[in-house]
Amino acid sequence: MANKKINKKDIAKLLNKWSQEFAVFVPSRESGVAEMAKWDGKDVSFLDWYRNTIVPPKANFLPQMEEMFRFQKDKEGYKIELPPDGAKQLIFGIRPCDARAMAIIDANFKELYQDPYYLSRRNSAVLVGLGCMNPSESCFCTSMGVSPAESKDVDLMLTDIGDEFLIEEVSDKGRKLMAKTTGLKGATKNDEAKAKEAKKTAYDKVTRKLDTEGIADKLLASFDDQDFWEKVAAKCISCGICTLLCPTCYCFDINDELVRQQGTRFRNWDSCGFPVYTKMPMENPRAEKWRRVRQKVCHKFEFYPMNFDVIACTGCGRCIRLCPVNWDITQVLESVPAKARVGK
Amino acid sequence: MLKDREMEQKLRNEARTLLEQGKVDWIIGFEAGSLKFSTTPLITKDKNDTERLVINPFIVNNLADFLTGIKGRVGIVVKGCDSRSVVSLIQDNKVVREDVVILGVPCTGLIDLGKVEKLTGKYRDELDDITRQGNKVTIRVNGQKKEFPATDVLFDHCLACELPTPKEYDLLLGEPSPPIANPLAQEKIEKLKQMTPEQRWGVWEKELSRCIRCYACRNVCPACFCQRCFVEETEPQWVFPAPRWQDNLMFQIIRNIHVAGRCTDCGECERACPVNIPLRSLTREMYDIVDELFQFKAGMDKDAPPLLTHYEEEEAEGIFR
Repeated sequence: MANKKINKKDIAKLLNKWSQEFAVFVPSRESGVAEMAKWDGKDVSFLDWYRNTIVPPKANFLPQMEEMFRFQKDKEGYKIELPPDGAKQLIFGIRPCDARAMAIIDANFKELYQDPYYLSRRNSAVLVGLGCMNPSESCFCTSMGVSPAESKDVDLMLTDIGDEFLIEEVSDKGRKLMAKTTGLKGATKNDEAKAKEAKKTAYDKVTRKLDTEGIADKLLASFDDQDFWEKVAAKCISCGICTLLCPTCYCFDINDELVRQQGTRFRNWDSCGFPVYTKMPMENPRAEKWRRVRQKVCHKFEFYPMNFDVIACTGCGRCIRLCPVNWDITQVLESVPAKARVGK
Repeated sequence: MLKDREMEQKLRNEARTLLEQGKVDWIIGFEAGSLKFSTTPLITKDKNDTERLVINPFIVNNLADFLTGIKGRVGIVVKGCDSRSVVSLIQDNKVVREDVVILGVPCTGLIDLGKVEKLTGKYRDELDDITRQGNKVTIRVNGQKKEFPATDVLFDHCLACELPTPKEYDLLLGEPSPPIANPLAQEKIEKLKQMTPEQRWGVWEKELSRCIRCYACRNVCPACFCQRCFVEETEPQWVFPAPRWQDNLMFQIIRNIHVAGRCTDCGECERACPVNIPLRSLTREMYDIVDELFQFKAGMDKDAPPLLTHYEEEEAEGIFR
């Protein structure tokens, strides 16, 4: 049960080994944006630059765009062709905030409803966490019950202890993988002590705080406070950055593409921030911007806790970092009135 | 920086007075943001909020974007490019001149934090300080000072800016500043132009493959004022809603044509893009094409007819019969 360790220089070797069984994904900027991309078999430069990806790893489980099935019409009706199952993924370097986000999304796609597309990827995947030693000023994970360098939501957890990473087996899946991964040294007591220290240091580096005590109740009380929400929404430009790139946002749209008698049904990311969201069945009930902003905030901090007993935010800070107008969820939540100002 | 402080004070006083005297219902300006070197739009009716107004090299947003969504008279803080967007909206009858009080900032260029990060090899929140002294920018990292020519860290569109000081204004907050006119501004575009069409196609395939269709480029753009964007039409469906690169390209091409003659090269589309698509390479090229073909620069003259919604009979000669 003792933890293992690996020299940073040997990471490429390790990934190569794992590549024999998995499609290995690592943080990459090759496409022009930081995201989890298929490993090229060589490049481990992410070990130097990687803080977190811009595109969250949820994209590996809920792709921006995926084929659900193809259909063809003939005399007897429609013939449906399902896409083949994808390769088993190993996501190397996922941050604890993003790993927690996957656990949060599970509530919807695994527990409430069994989504076959999501589950085929999720169940076969291995998450190898990498402790976050340099959190951004926009990060507030520690306020959301996440520690930047500790995780129970991954299968294996790596911690930077200088020239080496300490490897902890977190889940059964992780244990099984490690049993097959030979040639690693055992960690010494000194290594364990270094890892413990590194985790604490990382934790203390997260300076942005959010007090979530009673937040769902406060939001419930302020739901009809139009003045408050209009003020909060004033500078929002209704783009989809904070939702599409949120690791816990999972809304999708479904589109058919039909060419003559053949077609494909696609699923792609959608955002409750868009004025045309849910326009397809009828109208968007949230025509005004303040209603959409309220929905986004309340879904994460009021409805999700109500339905699943967990806040749908991990404090990864992407929505703050990437917002073109610096709309800051932590400021917004801190400004929610403590008591109802309207209604009863 | 002293200049900025003075302008700031003047702006705060003026904005407060405008609200107090009921000359405007709203003030739209900038206040300090929640991140290092960030600002954020301040949209307020409250005179006490005017104390928070700021002017500094990080006032990136083109606030003209908010004008079409707001009811009432507005006092708005604009840099040169933004003032052209306001004028362009006036030309398009989207904004009534009398309903806006234009508070002009003579701009000396904005600092592109992306360039700063590349130059220093540090993330923006790891920097201690960034200060501008004329043609120099000093960046302090871990207590050490590094100096760069300002042109190394200003946004491309600022290096190309033709109107740093608003021409249309009610109050100019400082002394006019001259254009920088630095050829570096066009470097990326020139590189693209030297490629073969096949190479260029390859570049745009790669760039647009990462588009996530967040529409931030459209939503930060004051020239994109359509109530409903063509990209969201379903009958007929002009562009497939899922982010396939070909559809992403179609979206950008059509958007570019729609903002031709309205785009003031404020650079917001490129800055807002979360996945780093070099959108200005498209919009600026369109800007130059419009200038070359029609001798037209957007938002320079509020009394000039708008380019694409205006028609002279002789223009049809030889095309329509």
